[in-house]
Amino acid sequence: MTGKIFSIEEFSTYDGPGIRTTVFMKGCPLSCSWCHNPEGQSFETQYIRSPNGCLKCGKCEYAGKRIGETIILTEKSAGACPRGLVRVCGIEYTSRQLADRLNMNAEILRTWGGGVTFSGGEPLCAIDFISETVKFLKKGISVCFQTSGFSSAEVFEKALSVSDFILYDLKLMDNDEFRKFCGADNLCILHNYKILAKSGVPFVTRIPLIPNVTDTEKNLKAIARFMYDNEVNYAELLPYNKYAGGKYRGLLRDYNPGFDESLPVCARKDIFERYHVIIKIM
Amino acid sequence: MDENIYRSREFLLDKGYRKMRCQDRTDMREALRGLSDTEKLCRRFEQAVADEKPVFYSYDEFGFNRYRARLPIISLDKDYPFFYHDESFGNITIDYETLLKKGLSGIRADAERLYDKADEEGKLFYFYIYRYFDACELIVKKYTEAAIKCGKERLAAALRRVPMEGAANYFEALVCIKFIHYALRLNACCHLTLGRFDQYIKPYFDVSVRGGMDKAEALYLTEAFFISLNYDGDLYQGIQQGDNGQSMVLGGCDENGKDALNEISEICLTASEELKLIDPKINLRVNKKTPLSLYERGTKLTKQGLGFPQYSNDDVVIGGLVSLGYDLKDARNYTVAACWEFIVPRCGADIPNIEGGMNFPLVIRNVMLADLTACKTFSDFRAKVREAILKECEKKVGEDNAIPFHDEPFISAFVQPCIAKGREINHYGAKYNNYGIHGVGIANGADAMEAVRIAVYKDGFVTKEELIYAIEQDFKGYENLQKKLLSLPKMGNNIDSVDEQAAFLMDAFADGLNGKMNNRGGIYRAGTGSAMEYLRAAKNVGATADGRNAGTPYSSSFSPSLTAKLNGPFSAIQSFTKYDLKKIINGGPFTMEIHDTVFRNHEGEKKVAMLVKTFIDFGGHQLQLNSVNRATLLDAQKHPEKYPNLVVRVWGWSGYFNELSQEYQDHVIARTEFRC
Repeated sequence: MTGKIFSIEEFSTYDGPGIRTTVFMKGCPLSCSWCHNPEGQSFETQYIRSPNGCLKCGKCEYAGKRIGETIILTEKSAGACPRGLVRVCGIEYTSRQLADRLNMNAEILRTWGGGVTFSGGEPLCAIDFISETVKFLKKGISVCFQTSGFSSAEVFEKALSVSDFILYDLKLMDNDEFRKFCGADNLCILHNYKILAKSGVPFVTRIPLIPNVTDTEKNLKAIARFMYDNEVNYAELLPYNKYAGGKYRGLLRDYNPGFDESLPVCARKDIFERYHVIIKIM
Repeated sequence: MDENIYRSREFLLDKGYRKMRCQDRTDMREALRGLSDTEKLCRRFEQAVADEKPVFYSYDEFGFNRYRARLPIISLDKDYPFFYHDESFGNITIDYETLLKKGLSGIRADAERLYDKADEEGKLFYFYIYRYFDACELIVKKYTEAAIKCGKERLAAALRRVPMEGAANYFEALVCIKFIHYALRLNACCHLTLGRFDQYIKPYFDVSVRGGMDKAEALYLTEAFFISLNYDGDLYQGIQQGDNGQSMVLGGCDENGKDALNEISEICLTASEELKLIDPKINLRVNKKTPLSLYERGTKLTKQGLGFPQYSNDDVVIGGLVSLGYDLKDARNYTVAACWEFIVPRCGADIPNIEGGMNFPLVIRNVMLADLTACKTFSDFRAKVREAILKECEKKVGEDNAIPFHDEPFISAFVQPCIAKGREINHYGAKYNNYGIHGVGIANGADAMEAVRIAVYKDGFVTKEELIYAIEQDFKGYENLQKKLLSLPKMGNNIDSVDEQAAFLMDAFADGLNGKMNNRGGIYRAGTGSAMEYLRAAKNVGATADGRNAGTPYSSSFSPSLTAKLNGPFSAIQSFTKYDLKKIINGGPFTMEIHDTVFRNHEGEKKVAMLVKTFIDFGGHQLQLNSVNRATLLDAQKHPEKYPNLVVRVWGWSGYFNELSQEYQDHVIARTEFRC
């Protein structure tokens, strides 16, 4: 079986316990307006341009594909860039190839109680590929998913069965809001969270703080309440990263997140305390 | 941080005091005509001493700061190499133990005792020691009077003993070290290391503790001492500002192999962390048994962005030095020279960075141009490269052995057993007189070998003639070939075939120097450092088979090439620890740049510590770790005024970013380009 991967990052320090390698799976069913990995959204292979050292000669765009007004960077763009700054984003790996690549660092990962984190994109979309990869991993490498939780219960339970740790996002509780900013329904996410809370698999709830979108009193209260109901007492808050928009230019896309980026975020500790949830701001 | 320390640090960073130095310069060229070079140098010292006036800066506990920015002008008879013309012999760790114990008078007494029985050469050496020490006494007198006048009672009291007599407590020991640095530098010694400070200072520290010195006082004195080491750092620059040799080694084992980390090591780490100054540059000696907590302590320091501590691995270094012929006790006592070279304190007068280095990419390129077409197989080509490296070693040894050195009686007084032997260091006075040669561009060299193997022999996507022509043309018209070459396996990604090329190159280098004698009765040591040669030597080297363009820099020391697309730190660590580094132990660190956001909380710091420990446990010899942010560096280039105190690690040393020339700034930035 094969899976499409857009990046493998060694020594990721914020993607689970110990020191880890994070595998970024290509493709996501959501389209969060603040997404800081836009190259992970599409399931198709894409080409992305790094701004570092760009001569702005335009050769990559000239070699790209035109669809009406839009230009898409292609393999030809990568060939055309005189500085080699256009790179492919999305490479097919067989589960064996990926496991071999990850196993090369097995000794390091094991020593420090670390392992592999599957992120994305949405790793749940590649659950069969990941499950097969995990089978080939050397013993002692812990497996973690960093997920939005957007999948069927069946898929999610499959993920739980191969996981040692889960990093689970709770973004917006109101379904209309979720649909507006993330482009899908959040019902399955909330449902899977309940499964997670009961599963016994260690996990951390992560809440992105997006100014005036997720950091509103109403939303944070709803999240805290929801966590309380599920007997979860710890969450990490991730303040919006102002550089999130940087990668969109590399895909020749504009970044229109639909909120005012310059606003400060509110990390309302008090709200969570009311529901006995300890928070850590990352 | 103590209030006074805070103020004196502010005073230092303001740098205004530098303008207060006297810019006059005595011209002695006429007056010294016809004298020997040794005599000229001694007279320069005496004149420099006469020209100096006591200088104390705000809240300064130690004095011994330069009044005149420059030494008197003299002209020497011989054309000494760059390093030893304007500079005196240095880059060693002197015998602080004996100095602190006996003082200058005690050392002079030894010489006096031996004078009558000495031969002519010995007598001359002792005679110069008297002259230098007499001049030292003059400076001490000036400072004693000034200290009394300024009401600096503690210093005045200390100067009644040190440096002429041995030190009796921690403060006196610090004054004595500060003095000797000042004095040797008045004799143009620019690279003077501090060695195992936490070891040799311990007896005096203990006396003070018994006498009632508490932790706060110990930290205060240490911080005041560290600040004072920074005052004149700008005057003693090597290649760029900051390259002044003030490296300090903490931790490690004692002569009997026992763990020697102590409370002074701890205080020094705290002082360095609080002060965030470029001097002294901290080196931590570690081994497989070193607990993670010490690495965490080191990581906190790395977080400050100073580019240190640099780590060295006792498990590799000590064994490596022993196999080069160093006594076990001396090897266990090893220190680090100005940058990273492993040297032996007290009795070593090694020159671990003798002119130039083994320029691997150049050697390989030359073999390609001359012999590639005739090589039927890759093994044939490898054999030619090995032959060329061996020949290059012969040549370097010949060149280096022709380098003249002038006599160095002053610093020789602090190197064992010069006085007992009646010989200064350039006349075999020291116990160790070895030369070290840097191995420059190892990663680029290994990548070039691998490129030839794949492109020409294995896959054959280019003919020998075409490849040679392409590198001769600097890939003009061969851009696609260059891209292909750049995309081949590179050192740093844990790919055995490339890493094996590096092992082959290092073996040839070590073999080529094995058994060679230098002109001072010592041996040659092969290393993995590049010093400034990653820029200087690379500048004149045409395009290379790894896809590198003509004139562009190599990677610094022992690290992946600048254009290599890297998997990440895990793979890089494994690539660079595969080789048995004991065989090539002159020094030269694996360098890793880590984005500063990783350090943003304790969890991140701890994980960096895990990574460092991994490198050591895997058998790495030396590690330099930098916390960097590319965006910050780029902004600092555009708006230097916003970043007056931004410090970066350059090669073996750290400097203020604004004080580096652009090519060095650019290289620091380029190193971050493909990193995490």
